[in-house]
Amino acid sequence: MGKLMYSCEQAARLASRAMEQPLGAWQRLLLNTHLVICRRCTNFTRQIAFLRRAAHRVPETLEKDGD
Amino acid sequence: MSEDKDWAQALEAHRKYLQRYAMFHLHDAALAEDAVQDTMMAALAQGNRFEGRSQLRTWLTAILKHKIIDLVRSRGRGLPAGTLSLDDDGSAEASFTPKGKWVDPPADWGLPDAALESQQFWRVYQECCRRMPERHALVYSMREVMDLPSDEICKKLDISMSNLHVILFRARLSLRACMTRKWFAVEHG
Repeated sequence: MGKLMYSCEQAARLASRAMEQPLGAWQRLLLNTHLVICRRCTNFTRQIAFLRRAAHRVPETLEKDGD
Repeated sequence: MSEDKDWAQALEAHRKYLQRYAMFHLHDAALAEDAVQDTMMAALAQGNRFEGRSQLRTWLTAILKHKIIDLVRSRGRGLPAGTLSLDDDGSAEASFTPKGKWVDPPADWGLPDAALESQQFWRVYQECCRRMPERHALVYSMREVMDLPSDEICKKLDISMSNLHVILFRARLSLRACMTRKWFAVEHG
């Protein structure tokens, strides 16, 4: 069973990759299982999603009055 | 002739914004100026076919993105190594123990979106982006700020998809650690 559980590093790596392309069914299952029991990796996953929302706002933060 | 002059002036009105945009990605004023100048010349040659200001800015920004990437490619600056291995600089590994546990476990950021309205937040965000290793920073900002598709970035920078994943993962680790240290773990007000 041990090898069926992801470490935090593996889970975090996959959470990052999932933002680029869909994971396979098995990877998704193992990742989601890890996230259910791991608050740290859940926090990480939410944080990188937030950082993407922030990045999309960067161009408008570069706007200034008068130009 | 006066039409040409009007067109040049319409473009000129966007120069400061484009300079800031280029600066965000390149972190080098002279290089950013080159990218903006190339953009202006390319736009000038095309002639005006725009209704409003925001449409023109969108179009200029799209040109600028390509000029930034062309410049970086031609100078070879800040580019990721072509054959980046999983463990060539240890920057991801430093975030985890050899057994794959977090060294500095991510704490809850609460409801972070309110911070997006704070100017101070954006200063910290830009500082943290600049602290990333140069060859991660550009890939990250191409993906997340320019919003270019992964496969297009791989093609332009001549890196593999798995290299791209490694670089983005490291960039995200670095940025979230810095934002925690400098913003979310700090009292504001």
